Amino acid sequence: MIKNKGYMGKILVVDLTSGEIREETLPDAVYEKHLGGLGLAAHILYARIPAGADPLGPDNMLAFVPGLLTGTGSLFTGRWMVAGKSPLTGGWGDANCGGTFAPEIKRCGYDGIFIKGISEKPVYLYVDDHTRELRDASTVWGLDTVEAEEYLETHAKEKGKKPKVVCIGPAGEKLSLISGISTDKGRMAARSGLGAVMGSKRLKAVVLSGQKRIGAHDRNEMKRLSRMCNKWVQFQPPFVTGPMTAFVGALLRVMPTVLTQDGMLYKILLKKWGTVSMNQMSPEMGDSPIKNWKGSSRDWGFRKSYSTNPDVFKNCEIVKFHCYSCPLGCGGICTMDDKYTHTHKPEYETVLSLGGFCMNQDVKGIFYLNELLNRAGMDTISAGHAVAFALECYEEGIITRKDTDGLDLTWGNAEAIVALVEKMVKREGFGHVLADGVKQAALRIGKGAEAFAVLAGGQEPAMHDSRNDPGFALHYSVEPTPGRHTLGSHLYYEMYQLWKVVKGIPKIPPMYLKGSKYKNPEKQAAIGAANSRFMTLVNCTGACLFASFLGAKRFPLFDWMNAANGWQLTPNDYMDLAGDIHTIKQSFNVKHGIEPKDCKISDRALGRPLQTEGANKGRSIDIEAMMTHYWEQFGWDGRTGKPSPETMKRLDGGV
Amino acid sequence: MAYFITETCNGCTSCARLCPAGAIQGEKKNRHVIDLGLCIECGACGRICPQSALQDPTGRAVQSVKKQFWAKPVFNHKTCMACGICINACPAGCLKPGEPSRKDKNAYPELADPGACLSCGFCADECPVEAVTLEAPPEAMAKAG
Ligand code: SF4
Ligand code: SF4
Ligand code: SF4
Repeated sequence: MIKNKGYMGKILVVDLTSGEIREETLPDAVYEKHLGGLGLAAHILYARIPAGADPLGPDNMLAFVPGLLTGTGSLFTGRWMVAGKSPLTGGWGDANCGGTFAPEIKRCGYDGIFIKGISEKPVYLYVDDHTRELRDASTVWGLDTVEAEEYLETHAKEKGKKPKVVCIGPAGEKLSLISGISTDKGRMAARSGLGAVMGSKRLKAVVLSGQKRIGAHDRNEMKRLSRMCNKWVQFQPPFVTGPMTAFVGALLRVMPTVLTQDGMLYKILLKKWGTVSMNQMSPEMGDSPIKNWKGSSRDWGFRKSYSTNPDVFKNCEIVKFHCYSCPLGCGGICTMDDKYTHTHKPEYETVLSLGGFCMNQDVKGIFYLNELLNRAGMDTISAGHAVAFALECYEEGIITRKDTDGLDLTWGNAEAIVALVEKMVKREGFGHVLADGVKQAALRIGKGAEAFAVLAGGQEPAMHDSRNDPGFALHYSVEPTPGRHTLGSHLYYEMYQLWKVVKGIPKIPPMYLKGSKYKNPEKQAAIGAANSRFMTLVNCTGACLFASFLGAKRFPLFDWMNAANGWQLTPNDYMDLAGDIHTIKQSFNVKHGIEPKDCKISDRALGRPLQTEGANKGRSIDIEAMMTHYWEQFGWDGRTGKPSPETMKRLDGGV
Repeated sequence: MAYFITETCNGCTSCARLCPAGAIQGEKKNRHVIDLGLCIECGACGRICPQSALQDPTGRAVQSVKKQFWAKPVFNHKTCMACGICINACPAGCLKPGEPSRKDKNAYPELADPGACLSCGFCADECPVEAVTLEAPPEAMAKAG
């Protein structure tokens, strides 16, 4: 039966300890309140993971969720999320991923798959319209993510359409706290270390092959909105060459004023090159942290970043990769002449974290490491951080060749960096010290090494410099998932243009002085809160961050939600719902003993001490004031960041 | 709502063998039944049934059509966004991303396994930009005059 709603109305709950698999029907009220995707996961996991649960123990529950809008005729809404208690931060963990897996969860009839317990032997979950079972995974345990996926695609189902697979690689099996979950042979839900949770459950993969139809209240209206959105996506003026992006970045750096950014520029760059379009632009404008957050744009100038200029990646791209329902296609498959012949086009984050962040110019090595880490199922951002951290410890003499198995860990030593990552992936020798991320590495190394660790609540932040955009500093520090670049920044807010549809939030003038971003913490916090709410909606619907750069008028998220479900809510109503979902995640953290104020990002990333040269010279962030105001925006205690006892009670008793 | 098999069914099993959702059960030479929860309303059973024993969800009798005349998807690559919605919508798994050209690196969908196509039209139904139309194969039509 096809529902005239965007959701399926059911979830699947699996207990690996007992082997029980059961369906649960959820009332409409759950969707009306928590929407779907991230919101649904927060609702279920908050209630069902007991306080103090060991993230790698049987009580932790892993959720795989598509979005409320996935498969309803909307565009850019094919992303899925995995959520659970993070072994890296000890609090709420989630990771977002694209590819073609999301609609398959719904085609199997579910708005989410929730998995708890621990299996005695390695297993994988197989679901289609007739079968729901846990199967022996001994043949795929130990295989890398690409090999495992290829095997399961052909062997899990004999005939008909190919199943969709998510799986962990050896990193997850070996419980690396920076391991992720892979799909489509190299798209990763990488952050929060949830690969280790899957590994601890001895769950190698989830394999789905459903045929159910996904409903929508008014499919014609869905399509009408999609066609409007697509017009903006297809508008693509020719844009010169890759290295010219560096000049745009340099211009943004030297101008004292900023023209409020319209996301169309980023859309054009993404459509042409993908995220690698930022490889030279970001360092130039001061958006990329360099040399473990110690360096500046001066250390990674045009000549240094040239070897990773966007055209290098475009030139070896053989086919574009689109996530399900995406008209843009920022991804790609690239050829390489190495041990591996193909790889997903490396993302900006990967190129920078293994490149400029380690002062490494070897683009061939970066291609190789990208594929190596994807196959191992390890987060490239965290891996890059761990390497840079080791390089700095080596420079400072805290570790020597004796500790590093003979590797000469000097900045930019490409050979040593490759060898080190190979060791991390295998958890071999010195690689073991780094294989669980920077926090654990600092503990293992000791001798004051933690002074060089840049972290937010245990999570390595991403390749966007918070000194250049105080919004990143805020979101790195206050989010229930700290250290994320995908939840908000001042720049994102400019591009979302939310004030055009949501009432009562700050409007950004067409032009402003750069310095103004660093003042008025109250306004910055209001901007941050609106960002968090909006990104919550994006993550509830299965939407893509990059699509929201198009702006709220061109990317009709609110209208799609109404048309898909026959609801008549205003954008402000949705922003209120999102606030509650955000509060559930924060309450999850409090329930599990996290002190929100301890999640503040390390001083170095806040301009303490001040940088003496480069794009972010003299920039520092009054983060404490911003955090207080941000928390108050959600009705949380401004001093502690904890939701009030009344709020907690309301949530405990809620649907 | 689902398709329904009337008593004209003589249990030839063609529909059960074709149904992509495995929704049809029945013994040979006995009247078959459709599982309401599994039927995805693709209508393939109705098109294939030699007895014209099927009713669509609105209760109308469905005419059978010779398989060589079944309409198949044709893709307009000028409007297509290469979003892959149609590929995922197809219950028969007969669509695949095609080969990119030198000028355009997008992998546009193509009908990779025409023999498996059920003529259900889900690909056309779900495409947001109406880049898919279902057309009867011209060779078969020409032969039939
Ligand atoms: S823009 Fe890129 S990441 Fe976003 S949905 Fe499209 S292909 Fe996926
Ligand atoms: S009509 Fe389209 S969706 Fe249906 S079987 Fe044929 S190709 Fe697949
Ligand atoms: S759904 Fe339409 S636009 Fe998308 S790939 Fe198929 S034909 Fe192209």
